[in-house]
Amino acid sequence: MSDPSSINGGSALAMVGKDCVAIACDLRLGSQSLGLANNFEKIFKINDKVMMGLTGLASDVTTLHELFRFKNNLYELREERKIEPSTFANLVSSTLYEKRFGPWFTGPLVAGLDKHNKPFICGFDSIGCIDYAKDFVVSGTASDQLYGMCEGLYQPNLEPEDLFETISQSLLNAVDRDTLSGWGAIVYIITKDKVIKKVLRTRQD
Amino acid sequence: MADRYSFSLTTFSPSGKLVQIEYALNAVKQGVTTIGIKSTNGVVLATERKANSNLINNDTNTKVELITPDIGMTYSGMGPDFRVLVDKARKLAHTNYLRVYNEYPPVKILVQEIAKVMQESTQSGGIRPFGVSLLVGGYDPHSEVFQLYQVDPSGSYFPWKATAIGKTSISAKTFLEKRWNENLELEDAIHVALLALKESVDGELNGENLDIAVISEPQEEALGFKGTNVPGPRFKKLTPEEINDRLDSL
Amino acid sequence: MDVVLGIRLKDCTLIATSKSVTRGISVLKEDDDKTRILNEHNLIAFTGEAGDTVQFAEYIQANIQLYSMRENDIELSPKATASFVRNQLATSLRTRKPYQVNVLIGGFDTKTGKPTLNYIDYIGTQAILPYAAHGYAAFYCMSLLDKHYRPEMELNDGLKLLEMSIKELQTRMPMDFKGVIVKVIDKEGIRKIDV
Repeated sequence: MSDPSSINGGSALAMVGKDCVAIACDLRLGSQSLGLANNFEKIFKINDKVMMGLTGLASDVTTLHELFRFKNNLYELREERKIEPSTFANLVSSTLYEKRFGPWFTGPLVAGLDKHNKPFICGFDSIGCIDYAKDFVVSGTASDQLYGMCEGLYQPNLEPEDLFETISQSLLNAVDRDTLSGWGAIVYIITKDKVIKKVLRTRQD
Repeated sequence: MADRYSFSLTTFSPSGKLVQIEYALNAVKQGVTTIGIKSTNGVVLATERKANSNLINNDTNTKVELITPDIGMTYSGMGPDFRVLVDKARKLAHTNYLRVYNEYPPVKILVQEIAKVMQESTQSGGIRPFGVSLLVGGYDPHSEVFQLYQVDPSGSYFPWKATAIGKTSISAKTFLEKRWNENLELEDAIHVALLALKESVDGELNGENLDIAVISEPQEEALGFKGTNVPGPRFKKLTPEEINDRLDSL
Repeated sequence: MDVVLGIRLKDCTLIATSKSVTRGISVLKEDDDKTRILNEHNLIAFTGEAGDTVQFAEYIQANIQLYSMRENDIELSPKATASFVRNQLATSLRTRKPYQVNVLIGGFDTKTGKPTLNYIDYIGTQAILPYAAHGYAAFYCMSLLDKHYRPEMELNDGLKLLEMSIKELQTRMPMDFKGVIVKVIDKEGIRKIDV
């Protein structure tokens, strides 16, 4: 009940396709059982080929979004280039571990394409341990349900259109079995030349 | 409390010069000549390792140092100051980069970190500037090119294709201007470096009194283990034998 | 069991706060104002731990005013004001004794000409909402507001909607919160409305 990472609710996941990755989240922001907002996005753009998802305590989602925007801006000024997804993942990891004994209550995800346009996804625990995956990563209050949906629906090397269907159905059907998630969803498909954003209508209860 | 009164020793003269920095550059100018040359497939850093007496055991005195597996550094000027900077550079490479991004810093970033240390010594109280100019050579995995930088006591830094610092730097640079071209390969660069050093060294050149390192292809055998995708270090010191072989064919 | 309610209308934001101050089983005051004016177009309404609330709100008020004094009379926008407050609460959360204050910030952005309502709790959760309430009042009001709220409502309709909400609260809440003080934030500034 007073577990910080399930006060506000919310879920996210990322999947690897053929020369593309997808990352999606629900839109609910709640206060325990009470729904507050249905427009609370949990996925943030880092650059044209890297995005991150942040679920958990909404306050920390906002704080970390601002913190990583700041760190990424400084990185781009210093290095005069865009950060690679794997480098960004390590930055997330070290940033979270810095708060090892008083962590941020979030479960971040990173999804992107590297400089050779090779897909990269990974997830983290709240103190920065990286979970590298070649297929999918999940996070949030519906993570158990998401694991089930992904194990059932995922297949490797999907084209962007099919990957969109797979990730959407995985998310939608998972959040419908979680009282703290849902209230709309957003899906991003990252390909080598563009990012496609799609807003999904879901059950509104 | 004492630090409240430790004003900076480096203060402007009425003409706008910082004489402490000029004195530091004089220390560099008295130093042993050091050469850095960039080529298509590597960088060479070369300097003389003088022994004033045949009683000195010279083989442990190293003047070209590894900072990261892909970056090396050498100097002209005061040896003790150089070793302090080597320590600081190695530590900065880890705390400010490796431990944050889990990868070693690009050459330019490391050079900026070293330059920051040297600049701060010109504005802090109670300390003197470093009496060295550095040559930092390395490989940048992002742009996939070799790079060579010079860092001065003031904290200024310059990217070079080839350069020299120290006692005979002016004549050595004139020599390098004539011998350097875009298509120079690593072996040619070592050759040119040896020729340039030959001009500045009084006695005979040999593997014992030269310190040379190259940053070129990854050396997998230097790792000491096999079966991973970890690339080996690009930094490699030349042994006295390897130097002598090249001197023989000069 | 304070009531703090906010509704964003077509060209203004309404803020209503209960007038009672209670301690245990006693009512100590029945004309309390749980709001502070931050600047000409930003009003903060607060509830939470006694002592923390006023201390925090007036600290925010002082800092928002200090900003305008330093920055050549530039008024902080509702967005910037809310970010500042959120940041203070989020920072305070990880200190030895966090401020336990939940707030609503009613604002009017003079640049875009749009009214806004910001919901921020003591954890640092921030949301821009059409209507919002803190505490138990939210449970009684939200369904009502969900049904009757329209984004294009004028002030009069908004006041009617507010009246409905207050009536519901008076019916369902276990204690008398001694009515509400209602304030409007629009392009003219902040004013109290008699209800």
